Amino acid sequence: MNTPSRVGAFFPVPLLTRWATTLVSLLLFAVVTAGLEAQPSFTAPPPATAPVGDPALRRDQYLARRMEALRWRAAMATPGDPTKLGLAEIAAKLALREDAAACSERLIELMKKPAADMFWMFPVTCISYLGRDQLSGEAKAAIREAWRTYYPLRGDTENHWVMYYTTMHLMAQLWPGEGEDRWFNGKTSAEISAESRAWLLHWMELATTIGQGEYDCTHYLGEYSIPMLFLATWAQDPEMRQRGKMMLDWVIADFAVETLNGIYIGSHARTDDTTVFEKWNALSSYFAWQLLGNCPPQASYGGWGIYFATVADHYELPEVIYRIGTDRSGAYTHVERKRTRHRWRNSDVRNAPVYKTSYVTKDYALGSDQGGLLQPIQQHSWDLTWAVPDPRGVHNTIFSVQPFYGAEELMMYFTEMPDYMPAAVTFQGKPTYIAESKLLGGSPYEQIFQQEDTLISLSDVPASAPWKQVNGFFSKDLALIEEDASGWIFAQGGSAYIAYRPLAGYEWRPLEKGGKRLLSPHAKNGTLLQAAAANEFKTWDAFKAAIRGLPLEITLTPTPRVTFTTLRGKKIEVAYGAAPRVDGRVVDYAGQWKLFAGPYLNGAVGGRILTMTHGRLKRVLDFNTLTITDAVLP
Amino acid sequence: MGRSGPLLSGLYRSADRENFEHLGPHHIRTFSLAYDPSDSARLYVALLDGVLRTPDRGKTFRIVTSWDMTEAKSISVDRNRPEHVYAGIPDGIAVSHDRGQTWQRMNAGIRRAYTEAILVDRTAAGRVLAGTEKGLYLTEDGARTWRLVHGTEKVTHSLRQSPHDPKVFFAATGGDGALWSSDRGLTWTRLAGVSTERTLHNGEFDPRDARRLVYCGWGVGVQVSEDGGKTWLDRTAGLPKREVWKVAIDPDLPDRIYAAPYMEPLFASDDFGRTWRKLQWEKANVFDLVFVPRK
Repeated sequence: MNTPSRVGAFFPVPLLTRWATTLVSLLLFAVVTAGLEAQPSFTAPPPATAPVGDPALRRDQYLARRMEALRWRAAMATPGDPTKLGLAEIAAKLALREDAAACSERLIELMKKPAADMFWMFPVTCISYLGRDQLSGEAKAAIREAWRTYYPLRGDTENHWVMYYTTMHLMAQLWPGEGEDRWFNGKTSAEISAESRAWLLHWMELATTIGQGEYDCTHYLGEYSIPMLFLATWAQDPEMRQRGKMMLDWVIADFAVETLNGIYIGSHARTDDTTVFEKWNALSSYFAWQLLGNCPPQASYGGWGIYFATVADHYELPEVIYRIGTDRSGAYTHVERKRTRHRWRNSDVRNAPVYKTSYVTKDYALGSDQGGLLQPIQQHSWDLTWAVPDPRGVHNTIFSVQPFYGAEELMMYFTEMPDYMPAAVTFQGKPTYIAESKLLGGSPYEQIFQQEDTLISLSDVPASAPWKQVNGFFSKDLALIEEDASGWIFAQGGSAYIAYRPLAGYEWRPLEKGGKRLLSPHAKNGTLLQAAAANEFKTWDAFKAAIRGLPLEITLTPTPRVTFTTLRGKKIEVAYGAAPRVDGRVVDYAGQWKLFAGPYLNGAVGGRILTMTHGRLKRVLDFNTLTITDAVLP
Repeated sequence: MGRSGPLLSGLYRSADRENFEHLGPHHIRTFSLAYDPSDSARLYVALLDGVLRTPDRGKTFRIVTSWDMTEAKSISVDRNRPEHVYAGIPDGIAVSHDRGQTWQRMNAGIRRAYTEAILVDRTAAGRVLAGTEKGLYLTEDGARTWRLVHGTEKVTHSLRQSPHDPKVFFAATGGDGALWSSDRGLTWTRLAGVSTERTLHNGEFDPRDARRLVYCGWGVGVQVSEDGGKTWLDRTAGLPKREVWKVAIDPDLPDRIYAAPYMEPLFASDDFGRTWRKLQWEKANVFDLVFVPRK
């Protein structure tokens, strides 16, 4: 070939990777099967769910759980086998202040092959700080060199950015005053510090005024709380340290109020194909175990949980949050405002409001959002979760979805070209995304309303949609399922009685993981669910009779419409495309849904303040003044 | 996020059209590139993290944008004022007046500001076309004000100015077909014979022959025209699939075009698409192909 005369350099910009289409972060759980049997609390009987009253005992148990996690992880390192000494084991060992020489030696090797972007950054940040007075000079130099030569991506979603900017802030603090030639991105320590601080403040502003974007995630809870613990522990700037501490309280309180025996209930911005059935099986359960002590931890302490454990001794869970998370002596309704993640296309608003409702009792919890496409791919809009003695392996939940997928959804939330995305999402670990049988994900054609323990979901699906149906999940762990001539399906899960009313005809399909799918193949459709505690009725038949006796009108054409008087005596009127009514009054989402509202958490939209109360305990997080105020009410 | 495999992602350079060397960071979301016409060693790269600038063709580099201007999709340098750089980003348009050192957002007047394509008119400083979610916008005052010159239903993915006639522009869209302007981008018409059912990824002029054009897209394959866009010929035969991410015409080698099918090797043709051969890589996604002057 002749040498080109006019144009000499040719720059293709390729992507070369087997994971070519990584739109959404993957949780890299470092689960090692061989170690599971030795994980004490994972295999032990479930802990008691009753609150521990004695603060000293509570703290001791909290610290003991931390040590259990650290010792388990540290023990996974096999002497003489460096491959068994990874970042998590090194972090655990450094937290225990053991084997610093071996950790140093291994780190030098590990820093030669960094990978996984921000999921690499925060373990290495953790190790760097834990190892400040333990690691060898060579190991520290290897870490330093990796942050010069390895280019971790910033990511494309909120949890990525929290990890990325928190670690950038802390590492710029660790290596201050360095020039642009010392950092992978060509910026100076001062520039990195300023940029990361600005982003963190921006994120906190959004979260404390209009809510988190990736709200209430069963797994990503860790990706928010661990960086905030790092910030609270290691930031030298007192403002950033205080902000980290306050955001950690904020995130944990937001979690605690929507748990039932440690299980994250109701609507989630993101969950996954396992946790949507087995509600306990999530990283969030590690946090419930560590902080509340009322459920078993996930296998391997959720993988990432180990990094929280490394510095968990620097955090003392405020008693008011502990009480909110563990006291289920009385039923309560909690509502809150969140936001969608950033919408890039197909929307006139950057972050649309999300209106969440949760009703929690000691026996069951019902939680929901308003329906619609609020998050891409992994949205879970509603479920009823019932209490079980031991949640491991149990599918203690019931819900329905209008299955949907499409490039339009992905274009809204990702900045990628449209056509390859649906298949790419499926390829990269979300196998049900384009499946007709899917039970995970939101739909633009679904509208949900919840009043206490009653929920009505309506769907009106156009011909252009991929599927014109509703899928209902009926668990293998339901004690009873009875199809009644009235059209109701009666079921029992634990001590919860459940009345489920498909609004249109249905058939059953088996599910690979157990239980069965209610397939209702009609475009104009929906689900009505009424829950109750078993002890509210003398007999099962009495419950059924009570439900049959409730006034109910269902109309499906021209648009779905339901009028129902609940077990609690409220008359609900819902029509697809219209605002719901309760006892004749129009529900005003924008006006009624505060940032938080309920007996325990309260805060106004735009307020930057969260007030937590339980009994006589009160704690106020005020981001306007960066103050934490504790009070014991007289 | 995640990456695996022995090959590096990011920016590659070929000086001989056969062999490629990796430059700069290993980065799986590197989308586009532009060079400074006053110094072609200075490159600007649009990537997930924002805009990367290198003064020496990748030997050293720096991310020059901050957290609030990220996921850049396209970038263009003003030939008549080369210190001015424009980047299309998902929430608007970022502009630098000092060769990328500092940036400001300048998309006043644009509704639905997602911007996938941006192009500075080489005939006039500060005259820029932007391909957004809902249409083609024009500024004639360096992005201070923008006006809609052509509305679209879907995103415009690429914009090109004819090397033969600077009044002529060619746009590829996500659902409005291929658009053509003969009056410096003031008015646009849809090219007949181009699908509006499919997503077009990019269209290109042949720098050596004013009659020749090419475009590609998802399910579209490679389509060529030898009569200025009046008729189109399918030149996909020989490629492994019709999902083609990018196509380019070599400015130096007669009849040489390149095509990048989705997650396949980069292909080259020396007979304007009649036959194809593998050029590089086995399984790659080439987001852009850019020719940069040697000096």
